[in-house]
Amino acid sequence: MRLIKKSIERDMSGLVTLYPEEPEDMWHAFNLIRPNDIVRAPAVRRVTTESRTGSTNSQRVHTTLTVSVRKIDFDAQAGQLHINGQVTEENKIVSVGAFHTLDLELHRNFTLIKSEWDSVTLGVVKEACDAGERAEIGAVVLQEGFANVCFITEYMTVLRQRIEVPVPRKRVGSTTSYEKVIFTLPIMCLLAKRDQGLQKFYDIVYQSITRHFDFSALKVILLASPGFVADGLKDYIFLTALQTDYKPILHSKKKFVTVHCSTGHIHSLNEVLKSPEVAATLADTKFAKETKAMENFFEMMEKDEFRAWYGPKEVERAVDKGAVGTLLVSNSLFRSNNVAERRKYVRMVEEVRKGGGTSLVLSSIHESGVRLDGLGGIAAILTFPLHDLDESDTEEEETGGGDEKGKWEEKVAA
Amino acid sequence: MSRHKNIRNLDPYAEELDDFDGGEFNDVSESDERQLEEGLVQVRGALEGTGVSVTDKEIKESLWHYYFDVGKTVNYVLSHHAPAKKPKKKPQSQFTQKVPKGTSGVSSSSSSYMAHEHICALPKTNLLGYFSGIGQGHGFETRTATELGFFRDCPWGNIPEHRRGKIVVESICPQGGLPGGSGKGSKLAALAKARKEKAAAEKMQDGEEKASVSLLARLASKTPAQAPTSISKPLLPPTTQEDKQDTKQKTKQVIIPEPQPEVEPKTAAASSQGLGHPEEPQIFFPILNDKSIYMPQFTSLLGSPSSFAVSFFGERISTIKMNTTNHGTFTISGAPTAAQAKAFSEPSPDDIVIAAQSGSKGLTNAKKKIDKPVEKIEAAVQAMAIDNTPIKARREIDVLDEFRNTKTKENANFVVIGHVDAGKSTLMGRLLYECGVVDERTIQKFKAEAEKIGKSSFHFAWVLDQTNEERSRGVTMDIATNHFSTASTNFTILDAPGHRDFVPNMIAGASQADFAVLVLDASTGAFESGFQNNGQTREHTILARAIGVSRIVVAVNKLDAVNWNHDRYTEISQQMGHFLSNAGFSSNSTSFVPCSGLTGANIFHGARDKLPWYHGPTLIQTLESSKPRSRAINSPLRITINDVFRGGIQNPVSISGRIEAGSLQIGDALLTLPSKESATVKGIEINEQGSEWAVAGHNVTLHLSGINIIHLKPGDVMCSPDSPIVPLNCFNLKILSFETITPMLVGIHRGRLNASGRVISLLESMDKATGKTLKKKPRHIGPGMFARVKVEVTLSAGIPVEKGNRVVLRLGGKTVAAGVVE
Repeated sequence: MRLIKKSIERDMSGLVTLYPEEPEDMWHAFNLIRPNDIVRAPAVRRVTTESRTGSTNSQRVHTTLTVSVRKIDFDAQAGQLHINGQVTEENKIVSVGAFHTLDLELHRNFTLIKSEWDSVTLGVVKEACDAGERAEIGAVVLQEGFANVCFITEYMTVLRQRIEVPVPRKRVGSTTSYEKVIFTLPIMCLLAKRDQGLQKFYDIVYQSITRHFDFSALKVILLASPGFVADGLKDYIFLTALQTDYKPILHSKKKFVTVHCSTGHIHSLNEVLKSPEVAATLADTKFAKETKAMENFFEMMEKDEFRAWYGPKEVERAVDKGAVGTLLVSNSLFRSNNVAERRKYVRMVEEVRKGGGTSLVLSSIHESGVRLDGLGGIAAILTFPLHDLDESDTEEEETGGGDEKGKWEEKVAA
Repeated sequence: MSRHKNIRNLDPYAEELDDFDGGEFNDVSESDERQLEEGLVQVRGALEGTGVSVTDKEIKESLWHYYFDVGKTVNYVLSHHAPAKKPKKKPQSQFTQKVPKGTSGVSSSSSSYMAHEHICALPKTNLLGYFSGIGQGHGFETRTATELGFFRDCPWGNIPEHRRGKIVVESICPQGGLPGGSGKGSKLAALAKARKEKAAAEKMQDGEEKASVSLLARLASKTPAQAPTSISKPLLPPTTQEDKQDTKQKTKQVIIPEPQPEVEPKTAAASSQGLGHPEEPQIFFPILNDKSIYMPQFTSLLGSPSSFAVSFFGERISTIKMNTTNHGTFTISGAPTAAQAKAFSEPSPDDIVIAAQSGSKGLTNAKKKIDKPVEKIEAAVQAMAIDNTPIKARREIDVLDEFRNTKTKENANFVVIGHVDAGKSTLMGRLLYECGVVDERTIQKFKAEAEKIGKSSFHFAWVLDQTNEERSRGVTMDIATNHFSTASTNFTILDAPGHRDFVPNMIAGASQADFAVLVLDASTGAFESGFQNNGQTREHTILARAIGVSRIVVAVNKLDAVNWNHDRYTEISQQMGHFLSNAGFSSNSTSFVPCSGLTGANIFHGARDKLPWYHGPTLIQTLESSKPRSRAINSPLRITINDVFRGGIQNPVSISGRIEAGSLQIGDALLTLPSKESATVKGIEINEQGSEWAVAGHNVTLHLSGINIIHLKPGDVMCSPDSPIVPLNCFNLKILSFETITPMLVGIHRGRLNASGRVISLLESMDKATGKTLKKKPRHIGPGMFARVKVEVTLSAGIPVEKGNRVVLRLGGKTVAAGVVE
């Protein structure tokens, strides 16, 4: 993303013009644009004109529209952002108040007008426009008969394909003729079938990799599995590439790294990214830092449970007490439609920074972010232990629950 | 259309005809001349007084046309010349005018060739004209008007039936003779002729011929004088041809059924090959039921009918046989030659295939094809079904009763667990060897091979580690299932992998087991490493207990490595005993056995010399005394699928797994979850032995029908449709934690089932002893605590679990919790 223009007033309202360059920028835009913001972007609108005779004629017209955002929708697979809103500036084609869904396009400027730019959103702009080195990783997390082909960028983990191929298990034929079974055809057939199944599985993964990965652009290609499946796949990939003389793979042979992980499920990426082989090559990337921070949090929870807290209320209290050393916030919280809530989290991030702590905004579509979301989207490692951060909470909730129940009863009574 | 094929097949004869045809019409032999002259005189005599003026030439032509039959010629001349005195045209020229199109006729010309030799011997047939036409037209390149005219009449050109000529030729064997019409039959031909004559003799005796058949026979065998017009007359449909009204002529025409132009290409193609085979009547004799039309008879040339043909035609084929005459009848299209007929006297490979196919599809289907299109489609649909082997009818066995009454040996499954390299596979390999399941020779062979790759001590393990990968790496990777039996019990060994990466496989194995054999490595340092926090001795034991295995046999292995040291054995058994009781195994369901897998000490036979301090039972004896846990045979059926495979051609879909509850028998309907597909049990195998029924506790292989293999995968559950499991997306678990638990992503394991899910909330932590709530909504659950958590499955389809199922939660290669679904 490139910053074209930025003018922010003293009251923090203002506009920013950005030039998205790659699909990942759509993700940034998704994190910047909130409902009630105003977005000006090139658009294609179908205009229907009616002649006097009543015949209609519709045309697709390229124009620039300014809309007040009502709903935004991000498609991670396609890297597309759809912004739905009402037109605020009239032009020849549309009148004020007409609805339009903008599809932000790459390589076309868009302007975002916010009534309030907070430090987090400005941080996102800064991050997005940081022209640092992009680390893009292809990863295949697999186990026998099951593979996830994913694509990891600085801010996103995109699952490209999930592959499931049945691989026959090893089986023994009859016991009555054990000797025969071992040496003669049936068992060989069974084993051959198993091998066949594995080969087929490898082949499907290979096809998927060649389809989804741009080997020259990727920094590393991780093959992660329990056991020896990843090694088997690696051998298969190179053998097949050699046989078919598939240059992109042969040229990027060094990029393939096999890593051990415990399952083939995609949540094993956490394990993969923190493994020493990967950590060494990706130490300075954002997602490696995020993964590390999450690890630290869980470690701390095991070591000293009173220095690791999660959940909005608990963390908020910890922040109020100035105890937070590292604050982990998922950016899903900043996408909240509730302005007050958004402000609350922004305030917490700012407080921690002010207090000399670090606050990390984790991408909610990274595996570490997904983990954090599981904890309520926010977690903190404290500098000193705090007890009973949650005690009043349970009471409150109980009373809160009571209130709600009371309201419900009232309603029923009414 | 396949007629092209006919042409190709018959080309050689066509060439022969080429040589021959040129002279056919022009070369009137001297004897013919003489006959013509004589006939002319006679005709003139007969015509005298009728006032008909006919030229000599015309009479001669007529004579020639009627094969010097004076009477017919007179008739003809009278009928034609009496009123109009129109000169008679040559037959072929008449045809010329009605030529729309000429189609294949080469095969017919071949028959014309064959007929030509004997033309004089067949004065009753008026085929000469045809012959000439054919003769000129047999080559497609030079398609003359005459030829076109002739072939216009061919059945494929919608010839009126009366015009269809049956070329009746005296028994000849064109193949037998030399090309060019030498007329001398080979021995083969002579044989064929002899046979034909014999058959003809038989026919003469046969008085029960069908009307149509007898007509043909008469036509073919009787003298011209005896061939009254009345015979053929009723056969002939009214004709529209104005100049072919001569009844005499009509009578001479013998109708030959022709392949219908509509015949499908495929069958037609078959017809070109299978000529002369009575088994494809719908192709050759499409109007079979029409009595006015004759089937060509090749009987004399035919060998015995194929078995298919016999079954297809039954009586009819014998009739055909009996109708053999001296005159071979040839279909115009693709006339079969003797050689062809010979070649097909036995069922051809195609026939065998066709017969087999039609046999498998049911003969009735094949017969139906002829009858009604609807039935035909039905039959086709039936034939298209992938697997329509009849399913055995459900025999309504009272399985439970049967089970109680059978006095078979007990079945016991045990899982072999322990740290990696504890010697699990070797111990089991030794066990199988000592029990005589594996013979000496095999072991020697394994030993030699293992030494070759530098793993000489692994040869016993190779009995169970059968994949190349396992052998070359020296690590068991997946459950190996083996059977052996002692005097009292049939055992199934489930040899689990010890490597931590394959713990999911171990879980799968343990969930099939009645009890566990924990193998410990007694050598210095090895036991300790397996017993550490991350060691699999510990993890496997806990898992086995969590999955529901309550009885455990501890085999202290590799005692040879510590010089059969009694102190080491006591040390290990004390430590383990303590740990096991902590893990929840009661002391009376725990037994310790010292042994050595490599040397075989105290496995099958006691080893007093090496273990003088041990007086207990051997490993085998201990196993036998381990009674399997009680089984829920009265509950609704539940089978967790362990493996899905193709059991062979007969059984395209097979599964293996353990019956956890209930019973089943062949013919039962099953429901697969979560795919919700139903299947029928086609066969049951228990320990690779076929069985009619099976009950809980059996490890079975089921052959299924009525389900596609894609709907089945390891970890799915098959249950009875009456009381199915409802796949769950989100459920509460009562867990025992082994690690700190927060809301987090976990792998959910149950048998082969391995799903991704997450703990979404911690509901409460509970007191270990009383089960009372300690804290509601705890932030996290420390290791070793009881708690209740809510788990959500990532996949939308859910996983097939129900209340009371034991599941294991794992994360990052560690077992974090084991729990029971609530």
